[in-house]
Amino acid sequence: MGTVEEFADTTSESRLERGVEYLQQNSRTYLLIAPAAIFLLSVVGYPIIETFRLSLYESPADSSVETYVGIQHYVEIFSSDIFYQLLWQTGRWVVVGVAGKTLLGLLIAVHLKGDIKGRKFFRTAFLIPWGIPYAISAVVFRWIEHPQYGYINAVLLKLGIIDEGIGILGNPDIAWLGVIVADIWIGTPFMAIIFLAGLQSIPQELYEAAAIDGAERWHQFRYITLPQLKSVILIATLLSTIWTFVSFDTIWTMTRGGPINTTSTLVIWIYQVGLENGNLGRGAAFSVIGFFFLLAFAIVYLRVYTRGGEEL
Amino acid sequence: MTMAGQQRTWLRKVRLYGMLIALLGIMMFPFYAMFSSTLKTESEIFSSPATLLPEDATIEAYLLVWSQTDVLLWIANSFLISIATVVLTLILAIPAAYSCARNDFIGKRTFLLSVLVVQMFAPVVLIVGLFDVITTFGLFNSYLAVIIPAAAFTLPFNVWMLYGYFKTIPVSLEESARIDGAEQWQILTKIVLPLTKPALVASVTYTFLYAWNRLLFVLTFLTDAGKYNVPRGVFSMVGALQTDWRMMLTASVIGIIPLLILFAFLEEYIVSGMTAGAVKE
Repeated sequence: MGTVEEFADTTSESRLERGVEYLQQNSRTYLLIAPAAIFLLSVVGYPIIETFRLSLYESPADSSVETYVGIQHYVEIFSSDIFYQLLWQTGRWVVVGVAGKTLLGLLIAVHLKGDIKGRKFFRTAFLIPWGIPYAISAVVFRWIEHPQYGYINAVLLKLGIIDEGIGILGNPDIAWLGVIVADIWIGTPFMAIIFLAGLQSIPQELYEAAAIDGAERWHQFRYITLPQLKSVILIATLLSTIWTFVSFDTIWTMTRGGPINTTSTLVIWIYQVGLENGNLGRGAAFSVIGFFFLLAFAIVYLRVYTRGGEEL
Repeated sequence: MTMAGQQRTWLRKVRLYGMLIALLGIMMFPFYAMFSSTLKTESEIFSSPATLLPEDATIEAYLLVWSQTDVLLWIANSFLISIATVVLTLILAIPAAYSCARNDFIGKRTFLLSVLVVQMFAPVVLIVGLFDVITTFGLFNSYLAVIIPAAAFTLPFNVWMLYGYFKTIPVSLEESARIDGAEQWQILTKIVLPLTKPALVASVTYTFLYAWNRLLFVLTFLTDAGKYNVPRGVFSMVGALQTDWRMMLTASVIGIIPLLILFAFLEEYIVSGMTAGAVKE
């Protein structure tokens, strides 16, 4: 069988010939990969190209007429106020969301780490919010935050903090907090489970040695747990950043980006403009901008993931 | 151990479990709010301020949802979409993962890294392009319009999960089977796949949940209410002006029961699937 090394040795004249030969020798290998590769190229690769192309056209969803407009969409986007509003709101959404998920996840993991009775029960219970439809979690949070009948208002009323029910999701100043609470709730279990697995892989001797030295619990956390958990935290927050950035179902079910676009993010806007308003070209241009953000995240992730030239 | 020492350990235990139960309370509260509301009478659920416990609990809402909504149809559609997505994903992922685990070839690294990048390419950012492709191929309003994208976005996880696992299975096992005259196909189905069970279960559960839970594809590509899955069905109960909260929450509870059963049985595999990739041993 031809190997990679043999191929690399080839002189340039016979490279094509050798290439064909190499493919023939390894035809079985490539045939097994082909279905998956072709599938991904057509279902993910082709729409990417299509998105780039569409972003240069005026293309209403309800007609087949497309008009070439060049970079007009991009020019208009970069000179619009809404774009900068979306950037700020997306940044706020991601930073607060990821921070909340990380801290709450860490808190849960630290408490689940030890020799806990019924750990399987706790772990399963903590997992559930992650595994049910986001749309369902979103309607439940809408219900909890309901101005008249919701629990949050009931508690605030009882405590005498407010005199009458407030509509959290209807208030442009605080609606985003009402939505992000739901998103943090949904995203926390993943962090907790990952951190728990990371914590369990820390050698117990480290803690024993520290205990003998009389280290306080906080110091053990600061000088053993955190450094040992560093790479796990890095990968988990990176993944969480990507998922929070592209969070759609939750926001769309709770507010559709409203009121007056204050809970909208870049990806909500893609959907709003491209599919709700039926302006495919403009939506595609926003998608392309989204691609570059994802690409940046992906590069960082791959760097971290394949660090040190480790074999795949 | 001294008395003081015992007391300290005991105190620490109380603090630990107290904290765990408090955290559990926070995370479980939305479920409590959902479930207790479904047991209230119509006049109680729409009274302000909200009561913590139903005053006279009734299953009236469940009977109403059962007879007046399509919640069973949504569950059936969710099953159909999830199972089809799982099958399609496995058909594509198993050969690719196996090939990568057993052979060294030009383009392998590119293939595996591209697959990883797809995992990061969230469908919502691609939705406009996908919409164009789906309508061009006349798939709009068909189950395939949901199954195909769901399979594409779960394929990366499956390939990596299975690839990692196949690598741990000794080649010598396969070689001895080959000497005994087994065909490549038999080796894969009779020897390799049975040994891959933990990874397979993790992959299947992940794919199943993904297809069950996502609203986006159904919202965008299916307008026929007879094809709605659970999230889309619940979403359709959110009214523009008025929402029948009691019915919607009850449908939600019924809609997640199959998932709760799944969790109870497959928790270990779900956890191993979630931690694969993020935690290296």
